[in-house]
Amino acid sequence: MRIRSLFVVAAVFVVIGASVPLIAHHSFAAQYDRNKPVTLTGPVTKVEWINPHGRLFIDAKDASGKVVNWEIELGAAAILTRNGWKKTDVKIGDTLTITGSLAKDGSNLANATTVVLASGKRVFAGSSGGDGPTPNP
Amino acid sequence: MKTVFRLVFLIAFIGANSSLIMAQWPTYPTPNVPKTADGKPNLEGPTPRTADGKPDLSGLWSRSAGGQRGAAGQAAAGQQGQRGQGPPAPPPLPPDGIPNATFGNAGQGFKDDLPFQPWAAELMKKRRADNSKDNPDALCLPMGFLQFHNHPEPRKMLQTPGVLVMIYEANHGLRQIFTDGRKLPNKDDIEPWYYGYSIGRWEGDTLVVESTGFTDLQWLDVRGSPMSDQAKVIERFRRPNYGNLEIEITVDDPKAYTKPWTVKVNQRIMLDSELIEFICEERDASHYVGAPGAPK
Repeated sequence: MRIRSLFVVAAVFVVIGASVPLIAHHSFAAQYDRNKPVTLTGPVTKVEWINPHGRLFIDAKDASGKVVNWEIELGAAAILTRNGWKKTDVKIGDTLTITGSLAKDGSNLANATTVVLASGKRVFAGSSGGDGPTPNP
Repeated sequence: MKTVFRLVFLIAFIGANSSLIMAQWPTYPTPNVPKTADGKPNLEGPTPRTADGKPDLSGLWSRSAGGQRGAAGQAAAGQQGQRGQGPPAPPPLPPDGIPNATFGNAGQGFKDDLPFQPWAAELMKKRRADNSKDNPDALCLPMGFLQFHNHPEPRKMLQTPGVLVMIYEANHGLRQIFTDGRKLPNKDDIEPWYYGYSIGRWEGDTLVVESTGFTDLQWLDVRGSPMSDQAKVIERFRRPNYGNLEIEITVDDPKAYTKPWTVKVNQRIMLDSELIEFICEERDASHYVGAPGAPK
């Protein structure tokens, strides 16, 4: 009972946490496909702390197993800053695991739902879509 | 289990109010905030007033819960067609009977949606089917005054004796409302502007703002409800207490709508924060793709 209760609480927390920073500069659905989830792991090559979307670039494997440079869209730098994040929370060379949604046009572009450092610490919570593979309530 | 529900409710409450909790950059306290007996900000405290006794609308304002639902509404607006679902039932009306406009859908609170002229309904449907890819906001352009009222990023209002200035964090928007007694110019004598031409006058504690001279480029919501260059807009701003701002909006646009309609937007004060620079750099729009079947 206790475990189930904790699970419910955790699930609610995750859903709310993912949806709070929802920023709608452009329609998520115009650019990304929530039915194409992706998980990418690799070192950071560049961090762009700009509006309307911050961006990370990482070297990670594509579907064929080849390592390519991926562009990862985040929320607006202004919003990330207001939520307490700094550009320096991620450094060049840090290994990141990113979950998110692939671009509809098939390019090496994804919208991040979660960004996790090798230490397990989650950074830059919330994406510009905020509504990656799991639809918002 | 009761405890779990309480806990879930508490977490949901924190989530819904997190814009206040997270608004901690830079850490510089807002001065002159009324406090409760235990030293916490009293958002129900008295309305600040200017030297002439009028309510002072100045402050950093964040949209309230009604607008946040609109973000979900925006996602829903983009998905309805794909999922084959009918429109959701409108939420219950607030006590004053005026429906809340949301960021995603200005007509969400109406039983039969906004009173679109046929061409305007078709245009809105096309924009929605295109996943709102042509929303001016997506191109770093001014998105339309109603989207600005509901935008998740804050806006600062600066009230001076002759002009009320509204600075929107989103896309660095800037709007001025003249309160120096001038009359609203004839619509045909004004160049059409994204923000129109606005004058304001006080009726008691309500600032009544009239605007005209708009371009026909602005979208009233993310799904793409249009507003034409024939529109006249009346906004009634009230600050009933320290922490709340109420805006009642009437759009009278016979070109796009069969009759005038009225909606409401509620905003809440954002303490201990500031506008953050937002220079919109949309460098590559080539990834935008319309709905299935739409041209790339």
